[in-house]
Amino acid sequence: MNCDEVEDLLGTYALDALPGDLSADVSAHLATCSKHEEAAELRAVAGALAFAAPEAQPSPALKMRLMDAVRAGPAAAVETPRRIGLLGRLKHLVPQRVIPYALAGALAVALIALVITNVGGDSDRPGRATVSLSGENSAGAVVYELEDGIIVVDAAGLKPLDPSQTYQLWGIASGNPSSLGLLGTAPNGETLSVVRGQITDFEFLAVTIEPAGGSIAPTTDPVLEGKA
Amino acid sequence: MSPDLSQPPERSIYREDGDLADGLRRRDPLAMEVLYERLGRQAFGLAYRILGDGPSAEDVVQEALLTIWRQADRIDATRGRLNSFVMTLVHHKAIDALRVKRGQQARQVSVDFAEVEKVGADFAERVLQSIAGGEVRVALTKLPEEQRRPIELAYYEGLTHLEIAAALDLPLGTVKSRLRLGLEKMRTALRSGTGDELRRS
Repeated sequence: MNCDEVEDLLGTYALDALPGDLSADVSAHLATCSKHEEAAELRAVAGALAFAAPEAQPSPALKMRLMDAVRAGPAAAVETPRRIGLLGRLKHLVPQRVIPYALAGALAVALIALVITNVGGDSDRPGRATVSLSGENSAGAVVYELEDGIIVVDAAGLKPLDPSQTYQLWGIASGNPSSLGLLGTAPNGETLSVVRGQITDFEFLAVTIEPAGGSIAPTTDPVLEGKA
Repeated sequence: MSPDLSQPPERSIYREDGDLADGLRRRDPLAMEVLYERLGRQAFGLAYRILGDGPSAEDVVQEALLTIWRQADRIDATRGRLNSFVMTLVHHKAIDALRVKRGQQARQVSVDFAEVEKVGADFAERVLQSIAGGEVRVALTKLPEEQRRPIELAYYEGLTHLEIAAALDLPLGTVKSRLRLGLEKMRTALRSGTGDELRRS
């Protein structure tokens, strides 16, 4: 992307109204080019729009949930809100009949059944088996096995990757890793992915950073791991 | 900002942003409590404005603050930036949730924790004061409709520039320039304090 193109997009970029790939291109250009003096100021003005929305009072339960998660400590802080987040998001999806991953009809039914049985707030962990993965800097994930052959991975605290890389999930049995699928680049440090596999086949689960498209075997050290 | 003498003494150690960020990094729950009390209504207000329902907005606020909590050591919090950073994160998550709710493609825009804003100190100070004074709201409402509407569609409805062009039946180039002109006009108003003066007169 050249300077003229960036200038043309500066207002749009400042408001985060660019699709992700264009936004990333502008960011990358601005990181190395000092000719666009207005960029930071326009971003600051756009950021100030956050304060133009009227204040509103949330329920007292919000503060309680927040402080519970904070006081529970870093590892639990990953798990507790993620559980609510996962079910919360699934609930959003169901009414729209939109599920953002390529899922077979049977999986869609399983997810919907899961949400319906768990409606009503704080619930036990969904699914038959659950594995917690942890890593450095409070990165973590919860891996749920919903049904035979279907695993949901809910990860947070990850470093966002650029498009040339991907997170990849592995199951390890007797020291041999098998790929369970790709988890994407984790924009915002989070990912919610559905992959095919069975937790019970493995002793450990791990997540590594691999080149986009994945690898046949892990080429880097795990960023997340846990005992299955 | 003048000291808030109504707060209990232990909270007063978190009056300054740098101290609050330190407290978060040290995993002091009191730091998160102070942050929530300072920003909770504004954060929820923004999320609610975007999503239109309380429970979803609460989820977003919770997720944003917990992300800050988990990744506190990655925040560079010089004066005022912690507030802006929290609100930027709330905005991102609210727009992402809105787009999922609508069945639109996620924008996949990441929040760069290490982003260093090369904003002049004077202007940053002015923006901070305008946030405290509600001048931003005034500056937005004073924009001509043709600039205000695209900015609102971008910022509060999470539309991309292409979607705004389709929604308003305008050429893409027109949308891009109106977004920029609107922001520049707001910048001028915030820089000179015009909005506030006009309001008081």
